[in-house]
Amino acid sequence: MTITQTDPVNAGQTFRDTAPVLRVENLTRIFGPGCPDCVARTGPEAETNTCPTCGSVVACADVSFELRPGRTIGIVGESGSGKTTALRCLYGDLAPTSGRAYLSVYRDGERDIFEADPQDRRRIRNFHLGMVYQNPSQGLNLLISSGGNVAERLLAAEWRKVAAIRDRAAGLLGRMEIPVSRMDEIPANFSGGMQQRVQVAKALANGPVVVLLDEMTSGLDVSVQAGVLDLMQDIQRQEQVAMVVVSHDLGVVRLLCERTLVMKNGRVVEAGVTDQILEDPHHPYTQLLVSSVNM
Amino acid sequence: MTATVTNPVSTDQQAEALPGYNYAFLDEISKKAIRRSLLKAVALPGYQVPFGSRELPIARGWGTGGLQITLALIGAGDTVKVIDQGEDDSVNAVNIRRLVERTAPDVTTTTETGTATIIQTRHRVPEQPLREDQILVLQVPLPEPLRLVERREAETRRMHGEADYSRMWVALYEDIVQNGRLTRAAGYPALVNGRHVMTPSPIPRWDLPQLHMSQHLSLFGAGREKRIYAVPPLTSVVPLSFEDYPFTIEQFGDRACARCGSTTSFLVAIPNEDGSVEYSCSDSDWCYSRIDAQEHGTA
Ligand SMILES: Nc1ncnc2c1ncn2[C@@H]1O[C@H](COP(=O)(O)OP(=O)(O)OP(=O)(O)O)[C@@H](O)[C@H]1O
Ligand SMILES: [Mg+2]
Ligand SMILES: [Zn+2]
Ligand SMILES: [Zn+2]
Repeated sequence: MTITQTDPVNAGQTFRDTAPVLRVENLTRIFGPGCPDCVARTGPEAETNTCPTCGSVVACADVSFELRPGRTIGIVGESGSGKTTALRCLYGDLAPTSGRAYLSVYRDGERDIFEADPQDRRRIRNFHLGMVYQNPSQGLNLLISSGGNVAERLLAAEWRKVAAIRDRAAGLLGRMEIPVSRMDEIPANFSGGMQQRVQVAKALANGPVVVLLDEMTSGLDVSVQAGVLDLMQDIQRQEQVAMVVVSHDLGVVRLLCERTLVMKNGRVVEAGVTDQILEDPHHPYTQLLVSSVNM
Repeated sequence: MTATVTNPVSTDQQAEALPGYNYAFLDEISKKAIRRSLLKAVALPGYQVPFGSRELPIARGWGTGGLQITLALIGAGDTVKVIDQGEDDSVNAVNIRRLVERTAPDVTTTTETGTATIIQTRHRVPEQPLREDQILVLQVPLPEPLRLVERREAETRRMHGEADYSRMWVALYEDIVQNGRLTRAAGYPALVNGRHVMTPSPIPRWDLPQLHMSQHLSLFGAGREKRIYAVPPLTSVVPLSFEDYPFTIEQFGDRACARCGSTTSFLVAIPNEDGSVEYSCSDSDWCYSRIDAQEHGTA
């Protein structure tokens, strides 16, 4: 399925002239041996992501979207719809089964980052991407200091001056409302909300063009969620960083994302401007999703 | 000794030295396999090449990795020196030298750094800079520099493959945060040829600059872990460090060797019976040749 990215809000304005920072085409990841039927026999119509022929899981298939500089796109969908898998493929944790992705900062956006050799792929991730994982223990080393966690990204991006690294880490942690006095403490001692804020500081450290955020608030108390979302809105206003925000919470997406993809059984079933999707959902699944929450 | 044997194979004459064993102990097929791994190691500086480590009449962990390299390389006309922590006459060095002498009768052994063609060593690099016609073979107990930060072999291999050394750097950063300086003493990690991080084996930091853009070839062998790696001549070996916390070598202040008076060599402390401490060169050939030269008035 191809999603046409016409933008009724910004049509004809400068927005259209800006090249996307990230362009994803037909991203597909199959877990299992795979067979010629896998994609055809799975998806929302089949109401499953498991291929009846070979038993493979089509975690995501034909996911396509574009992201413009400094913009935020949301991905919503039920548990198991393939959101995390898509993010992990983009970040380089997983190799996709097929599909292409282009980043403006890698060879002028003309070369598929999935085709990059392992060393280039690692450099793309270290210099140009950031990721916040659903579970802080995936994104942080809980046994090295929170400053050290942020430093890891800077070191990966070849910062080689300890004083500068500490300044930058202190600045980012302070920005995320982690007291600088706790910078040399291990995040294992921190609350869940603090750990997620350390993750955000870490993800932003190297000045990435795109940050991928996976359910960053779902493990948090509602009151704590609000604080983290406030901080994310500040970041959006102040940084030139584009974001992909994965959530199963439509409220989070409405707050942070101009545009949204809706996923079900590994496919994108609807894509467009977030407010339009929420007001006038087309796909029956989206209608169900919207009606089931009290917006 | 005849210099005509260019491609050493087992002959009756050689077998006399240690009956029942092949020239240089290892069979020719094993030696060839090791030399092939060595060529690959030279082509990929700092990259750990797996090799089929053979059994030797010396326990693993006692230099069998280095010894296999030495045995695979030696042939007629070679002169071999073996040192352990800088000394030629330690039991371990003597045993290895004796094995070479008994299994390769056309190879000479020496204690002189300058006349050796192959120097096998544990934990030191000779003070005297080596020439392009010399090969340094280092015994390596633990070849994987990333083992400190990652236990899983598949993961360390991936990290090398992607040149993903950030966790190594974080360990150094945390060292500075906690201790105010880089505390790692022996086996200091270094980036080889701008690509692979390696451990130089547990040599002191003092020795690391000797491997950088050197004239000689350095070969590293780990018997237990079955890895070979190399630093070819004129190859960069850069210790991992920070602009504001640079790599430094051990400082001996104004101490000098109690035997030869050297102030430019790596010194080891030797306790006297009265409880005082003396310092002397760790490299015994360096020390003795200085004493010799002083006695013969050529110093
Ligand atoms: N490593 C794996 N091996 C096999 N199947 C996997 C693997 N990772 C994910 N899957 C499957 O792929 C599908 C998509 O999973 P994914 O984690 O991407 O969903 P999600 O949308 O992030 O769900 P959630 O909202 O619960 O986080 C699921 O059916 C999942 O079981
Ligand atoms: Mg998920
Ligand atoms: Zn199938
Ligand atoms: Zn001396």
